[in-house]
Amino acid sequence: MSVNNRDPLVVGGVIGDVLERFTRSIDLRVTYGQREVTNGLDIRPSQILNKPRVEIGGEDLRNFYTLVMVDPDVPSPSNPHLREYLHWLVTDIPATTGTTFGNEIVSYESPRPTSGIHRIVLVLFRQLGRQTVYEPGWRQQFNTREFAALYNLGLPVAAVYFNCQRDNGCGGRRN
Amino acid sequence: MTQVTMEEVWKEINLASIHQHRQLNIDHEPVLRNQNPNNSIFQDFLNKPLNKEPPPWSSSTHQGSLLTPPATVISLNPHPIDTHFYKSARFGYSGKKRGQDSDDSRGDRRHKRMTKNRDSAARSRARKQERAYTNELELEIVHLQKENARLKRQEEQLKMAEAAQHQTKKILQRSWTSPF
Repeated sequence: MSVNNRDPLVVGGVIGDVLERFTRSIDLRVTYGQREVTNGLDIRPSQILNKPRVEIGGEDLRNFYTLVMVDPDVPSPSNPHLREYLHWLVTDIPATTGTTFGNEIVSYESPRPTSGIHRIVLVLFRQLGRQTVYEPGWRQQFNTREFAALYNLGLPVAAVYFNCQRDNGCGGRRN
Repeated sequence: MTQVTMEEVWKEINLASIHQHRQLNIDHEPVLRNQNPNNSIFQDFLNKPLNKEPPPWSSSTHQGSLLTPPATVISLNPHPIDTHFYKSARFGYSGKKRGQDSDDSRGDRRHKRMTKNRDSAARSRARKQERAYTNELELEIVHLQKENARLKRQEEQLKMAEAAQHQTKKILQRSWTSPF
């Protein structure tokens, strides 16, 4: 189903700030402990210290997928001049499996926002085939769109995001 | 992390005042030090030969990289975007130079504060909207599950009724005796 205007990805600005409009075609299930991530869910850094379980759909085991996890609101949503921060990058995930079967190019770094409420986005792309993806030189100022173009990943096949703020207060303006 | 000498810091500052929006991480990855402004850093990366050697992944997170550079560059970089950024009291600095407290800059600051506030309010409303949408969907799910259960029960009953009727039809009975 295509992303409509009431879709949380649109309302939350993920479509636009990070991704182009796309049509969901593969199931993406992200779980931190017992909590399944649904769009816009509020999760604290203490709950996401370790990488989540990620299960993807699809049917053909010969299809491979890439998972990107970014924070577009760095260092703060009101001034995101370091957009995006790459938290995790896993490639060569076979359909119907999960990230444990893939190739972790960039290790999981748990989000620790200091200022404001950040969106953390997980995007799934379909690869043309098994491919070598070179990790970027650094995590910040990553650009998901450009990354997808560079490796011919096309439009996303699935995406989900959640909101994350500091454990004690959102670290707002202090003057 | 390499120690930065005073000369290097001054060189950075001079370059900063010329360029528009400089990457501020002085003692971050060395590759950034002599880069061009703005997103050309990423473009340079794309044009460079592909990196075969995995670079050492520094454990510094995005906030870690923020804490180190501004101390040396901040009050000498006149760029408005950066002063706006440095207003964040996290660093304990006010972005403006001391002698600039005219009505003009006050209005300017107020205006910036207003826009920031407006954006923050918009994001807040968006989050609220999503929560409402999610709740709506959850209610819809419960409603559909109940209706589904009801319809299934109904179907079962109809099936049983039909089967029972079928049973009775098999047995021919004399119900009325006719005169002939």
